Amino acid sequence: MKKRVLLIGSFNKARSLATSLIKKGYLVTAINNNYQDCLILAEIDSLTVINGDGTKPFILDEANAQNADIAIALSQRDDDNLIICELCKKKFNVKKTVAIINDPKKTEFFHKMGVDSVVCSTSAITGIIEQQAFMDEIAISIPIGEGHISIAEVPITQTSPAVGKKLWEINLPKEVIVGCILRHEHNMIPRGDTRILAGDILVLISSDKQETVAIKELTGR
Amino acid sequence: MLSGGIKMEIFKNNKKDRDYTIIIGCGRLGTGLADSLSDRGGNVLVIDNDKDAFRKLPPSYGGLTLIGDATDIDVLHEAQIKNANAVVCVTNNDNTNIMIAQIAKELFKIEHVIARLYDPERECVYREFGIATICPAVLSANEIRKLLGNAKKEDEVE
Repeated sequence: MKKRVLLIGSFNKARSLATSLIKKGYLVTAINNNYQDCLILAEIDSLTVINGDGTKPFILDEANAQNADIAIALSQRDDDNLIICELCKKKFNVKKTVAIINDPKKTEFFHKMGVDSVVCSTSAITGIIEQQAFMDEIAISIPIGEGHISIAEVPITQTSPAVGKKLWEINLPKEVIVGCILRHEHNMIPRGDTRILAGDILVLISSDKQETVAIKELTGR
Repeated sequence: MLSGGIKMEIFKNNKKDRDYTIIIGCGRLGTGLADSLSDRGGNVLVIDNDKDAFRKLPPSYGGLTLIGDATDIDVLHEAQIKNANAVVCVTNNDNTNIMIAQIAKELFKIEHVIARLYDPERECVYREFGIATICPAVLSANEIRKLLGNAKKEDEVE
């Protein structure tokens, strides 16, 4: 059976999420307060659109919230998103609720109130900005474990201080390991005595706090 | 940004019989309530994010005011919410009132939490938390029914 997803609030986020979820085979319903936005959303194939305030029980009822498997609250306001998730959980028995929040200090509170998954847009965006602005050296960095751990690809160039050194000779912080070295066509799992060469791409697994230090140690930047 | 003159160190001395009410939202209901509680000798602090809102307080108001967003936990700390025995949420947004009430009840374990809600339909959200709610529409309807009842009685007497 196809899973049913309910998207509440936000135009841009709802539009791109809806498009991607429908492609993956979900049944998606979007609730939006703005009539003009609803008209544009309705152009997406097989998306059900409801015009109304998603913090009101009768609107959620109209959107068949009781049949939804996942409810995602995307609105601008933290309080609205909290109420949406609480209504979905308590009144409509939705299995999984997801809320976007602006204030990172409220993450724990939202969990405590029974919201299953809390995504803090502010910390996510500042994280990405920091990466883009201060870590040009990293090709890709993926946050996992609620953003506390990240996996990063670090390219090593001729000028990097780590070139020619064995892994155990490099003074890496405690909470960082080099999980893999991508060398030309080969992928290798390094040991302490593996020597790093220019052109290597190191795959780092690290705590978010130590990542920058480790990258500086390896690349000099 | 606490103002009002009196330092809140008064609480250190008599924690047991403290009487400190935080009112969130300085509208008509907030100001009226703050003024009357303060008149009766209670310690009152009103929080609103709009400094102009405090103009509605009468000049005789003897309590404290704090400019800030009460949905921000830091602002609540600044208001010394831990010392409060009552928190009253009377902003003009139901969802804001519910969220602040839940923060007060769940994170700060405030004994009396009261929220004004225009729409009583979201009851299942706050029922289990022990938050007292006031709904103007329901209260007004009851009062009007009483008035109508009285009018009818008078008619019957005549």
